[in-house]
Amino acid sequence: MTVACACVLMTWPAAAQEGHPLKGSWLGTWTGNTTHDPDLILVLNWDGKAITGTINPGTDNLAIKNASLNPDGWVVHFEADAKDKSGRALTYVIDGKIENLHLPNRAVTGTWKNQKESGAFKMTRQ
Amino acid sequence: MRSATRRLLAAALTALVLAAGASARLAAHHEILAKFDDSKRMTLKGVVTLIDWRNPHVHVFINVRQGAGQLANWAIELESPIDLQKSGWNRATLQPGDAISVEGWAARDGGRQMWGNSVALGATGRRVLNVTPRAPAPLVSARPTPRWPDKQPRLGALPGGTEGYWAYPSSTVLVENGANIPMDAWGLLKNIADAPKVAPMQPWALALYTARQRRFLRDDPMFLNCKPPGGPRQFQQSYGVQLVEDRERSRVFVLIGSGNNNYRIIYTDGRGHVGQIGGDDDNPLYYGRGVGTWDRDALVVDTRGFNEDFWFTNGGLPHTEQLRLVEKFTRTDFDTMKYDVTIEDPGAYTRPWSSSWTLRWVAGEEMPRHYCQDNRS
Repeated sequence: MTVACACVLMTWPAAAQEGHPLKGSWLGTWTGNTTHDPDLILVLNWDGKAITGTINPGTDNLAIKNASLNPDGWVVHFEADAKDKSGRALTYVIDGKIENLHLPNRAVTGTWKNQKESGAFKMTRQ
Repeated sequence: MRSATRRLLAAALTALVLAAGASARLAAHHEILAKFDDSKRMTLKGVVTLIDWRNPHVHVFINVRQGAGQLANWAIELESPIDLQKSGWNRATLQPGDAISVEGWAARDGGRQMWGNSVALGATGRRVLNVTPRAPAPLVSARPTPRWPDKQPRLGALPGGTEGYWAYPSSTVLVENGANIPMDAWGLLKNIADAPKVAPMQPWALALYTARQRRFLRDDPMFLNCKPPGGPRQFQQSYGVQLVEDRERSRVFVLIGSGNNNYRIIYTDGRGHVGQIGGDDDNPLYYGRGVGTWDRDALVVDTRGFNEDFWFTNGGLPHTEQLRLVEKFTRTDFDTMKYDVTIEDPGAYTRPWSSSWTLRWVAGEEMPRHYCQDNRS
């Protein structure tokens, strides 16, 4: 059942989104992360002044902060406070770039790091 | 009989007819330059294999003999059936087997597709495609604004009178009032450096608008996916709108002759927006939630609750769910509807801004029925 649902999720066409390019739900992976699940889910919003959102809502519930989008190159930056498995505070710093801006299922690729580890990530808008 | 006719016609000269690309673009229902390059003119001669007489654009397929003798099938894209019929040709004008000569523009992707500015019978040179730009009939004299018995202006046709609808917008592009920016009928800028002058966009919106322009508006969801022309765009389309006042039910229906041929409701029963935006399962909507009130001779419509799944302008200006439109419909005389709109969208723009144009009454005609759903499966 879980597998079937996952397949549906993975093949669901991206909803049209012609407004702010980051707004929406994003699904992807961040490699090398031993603290959190390698699957990455982001829900992002834009209120006209700030980008807000949550990493892995429902599980990790990491609120993003200091989020920005530089339209010169469509460069994305955001951060999120978390805790490792021992309870030690971590701060994720995530930097990427929007690819295929014109597509509903556009992607953001880049790198992430915290005080313990780092890696690459890619997420695609759903 | 047809082959005999063709043999007879074969004695005549083959002629090429040069049509004005600008006029073709005026008639087209979306940005032709999204797909075709007007700097790459080409001529093809071939034999018709198929005529696909459907919206949004008619296609004629022809076999063209190439250098080594092989045949290649090319798709010639033409205007919509409505525009072609208004210009005097129909689905029987060309038949499979006809030799034709086509002049037009090559596809940007290098494929075997071509925009046809002119089509002539190869045997005779007789022009069979001759799209003439649509223009409203000249006004003989200004007629007064028609009114209901209570003196409120009528927005649509007179009861028992001739049919009619509103079309021929004086502007087909949404730009801030006072801005004079060269662009084509579908909002494609002549000079990309003019982008910041179009409207007071936030940096991300300006960058997105510019990116859409650089791609020749090819990502327009109305063009690609038949999404509705919500917002002011519904009053800048090729095939016009009808305004149907249902006074008994206190609402005005806006019937849209372009896009996917749908409609919008403006409520005039005094309801507010409270409890609707975000409260209705239907929200947000392509046409938003419009609430209208009369201010002397003008219907003022406050519309909110738009989704972000469409382009609300021909040129690709972005908007967000925070979009609010205040539209003012003023029938200044029988044949003229003045449309003023103020755009408030703090998600995409730095301040409210306004744009205005007029529509002409097309008397005695039913609104054309154009379905962009055709040819999309």
